[in-house]
Amino acid sequence: MKLSLRWKIMGGFGLMLLFIALLGWVTLSLFGSVRAVQRKVFREAIPALVAVDEIVRSYTAQSAAVRGSLIGSLDALLDRYQREVEVAKHWETRARELLTDGHESELLDNLTEAGSQFHSLVDEEVIPKAVAGNRAQAFLILDQDGSRLIQDIEVQGELLRTLQEQRLQDTENELSSRSRQALIILVIVLFGVGVAGIALAFLLPRRLSRNLSRLVEATRAIGRGDFEHDVGIHSGDEVEELATRFTEMQSGLQRLQQLALQDRELEIAASIQRNLLIRHIPHSPGLKIIPMQRQANLVGGDWYDIDVTPQAATVVVGDASGKGIAAALMATVALSFLRAEKGLGSLPKTVIARTNEALLDATDPDSFTTSIYSVIDIASGEARWLNMGHPAPFLLRGTGVDGDDPRGYYVEGPRNRVLGWFEDPGLNVTVIQMSPGDRLIFYTDGFLEAKAPEGEVFGEQRLAEAIVRLSRMGTDQLGELLVGEVERFAAGKLDDDLTMLIVEYEGAVQQDDGSAAALNV
Amino acid sequence: MAQQKVEIEITDAGSYRVLKPTGDLDVYTVGSLRDAIGRMIEEATPKVVVDLDGVPFMDSSGLGALMGGVRRLREAGGDLAIACTREQHLKLFAITGFGEGVSIAPTVEEAAQGFRG
Repeated sequence: MKLSLRWKIMGGFGLMLLFIALLGWVTLSLFGSVRAVQRKVFREAIPALVAVDEIVRSYTAQSAAVRGSLIGSLDALLDRYQREVEVAKHWETRARELLTDGHESELLDNLTEAGSQFHSLVDEEVIPKAVAGNRAQAFLILDQDGSRLIQDIEVQGELLRTLQEQRLQDTENELSSRSRQALIILVIVLFGVGVAGIALAFLLPRRLSRNLSRLVEATRAIGRGDFEHDVGIHSGDEVEELATRFTEMQSGLQRLQQLALQDRELEIAASIQRNLLIRHIPHSPGLKIIPMQRQANLVGGDWYDIDVTPQAATVVVGDASGKGIAAALMATVALSFLRAEKGLGSLPKTVIARTNEALLDATDPDSFTTSIYSVIDIASGEARWLNMGHPAPFLLRGTGVDGDDPRGYYVEGPRNRVLGWFEDPGLNVTVIQMSPGDRLIFYTDGFLEAKAPEGEVFGEQRLAEAIVRLSRMGTDQLGELLVGEVERFAAGKLDDDLTMLIVEYEGAVQQDDGSAAALNV
Repeated sequence: MAQQKVEIEITDAGSYRVLKPTGDLDVYTVGSLRDAIGRMIEEATPKVVVDLDGVPFMDSSGLGALMGGVRRLREAGGDLAIACTREQHLKLFAITGFGEGVSIAPTVEEAAQGFRG
């Protein structure tokens, strides 16, 4: 049976208390027996013996008094006879109270009957004959019949005395027998108390200590990195409960170790992803490109690419579906395909179409990536892009200096569909003309979908207002400031990555060869 | 973060089934929708309308699960249509282009009329 430690200790003490109670009961019972014997001896047997002796003695005295009165003075001795008769009656009454047993009563009845006959003999025959002057005949009657009756009384008294002595002997035997029983019970109880004491004082702490040692061994095993060590405690008490919790903790630690391992792998993945992104923005006279990225996790689904030649800048931003490793892999694959295709010198439409085909083959049906592939002509300020299911870019105009108030709008050109899902995503191009000072802002949906604690999303309206309001702080600061604004809105809890690419057109710069870049999107 | 669940009510509308998720459809909950669509394919009832009226928020993971569902159900000989009146989701469908490839309508019945085949 499995018991908790508390119940085991309580059970042990309970058992000991039971034995102690038994001990008390045996002692009390022994005292009770002694008291009963005492009562029998001092209140019944001895007083009964005394009473019988007194009765016998009284009849002997009565006989002697009558005999004396027949020889000498009649009156004085007859008075003594009468007193002794009263004494005998008194002791007979007393004896009847004490001798209630059947055989005793019978003997007492015989004795008192003999006594009565003696009194009748004395009162009706001996004394009248003596008073009538016939002392010799009275003496003869007394000597013959009276002596026989007195002898009978003595015999009955002796029998009663023997009986009382027998009762005393029986009582002594009973006391001796009870003492022996008590002694046996006492030995058993003391043995039981001893065993229970040993169980409590020795076995329980020993078992407890053995189980604790196992726990200590298990902690050492964890210290050695062994998370499979079986604690193996099945005591059914709190120590087993502790062992169960320990095993849970062991699993938790193992899980933590695995997570730490995964974290290291994630860090490697994040490092690969960081290395894939442009680390040094190529310098471009006429354009300022500021990328800004804040990932919600170590790795993310947002991706971008920047490529600058003296004639044009190619700026690509994308957002792979999902989150975490799956999104990061999708983003990495998309970026790799796109760069490979771009490296072959393909035209933007071809780059997008082939990237789409590659992603369709390489990814599962739940995965896709949005993207904007843009080319900005430095000489003319013309920007063209293919929007593949991505949020519309924002065109910010006005520097905020000399009354040139900042203003802007989302450029909703012809749309295409996301990459990696449709066989024909569409290749419609949006074209805008930028003026010096204009800023074209590409961003991912993390800005729009950032959620306040109560569930409200940041949304296009808030983003547009924030861009216009914060644009006075300068292009270099704008991305950081917007990210800060969104983070505050989401109370610091961003679920999605935030990526923003700000392209500021500073105006055409004369090329060395005097030519203007030709765009073929 | 602990795995959260979105409640998905499944009702039989005769020739098709209606899946009605209640709660946000995002990276943490989207597995439930994916599993429910998988069951529809296993039970050979591959015509499904997903009712988005009980979904206040959906991110690209949710959208990915829906679009993955479209492709899987079509491969199984069925289709996935979407019943939605929420502006935010409709905008997401429009931006990504999924609205053009899938039947999307304000009610379940109207959406079901747009099943392919």
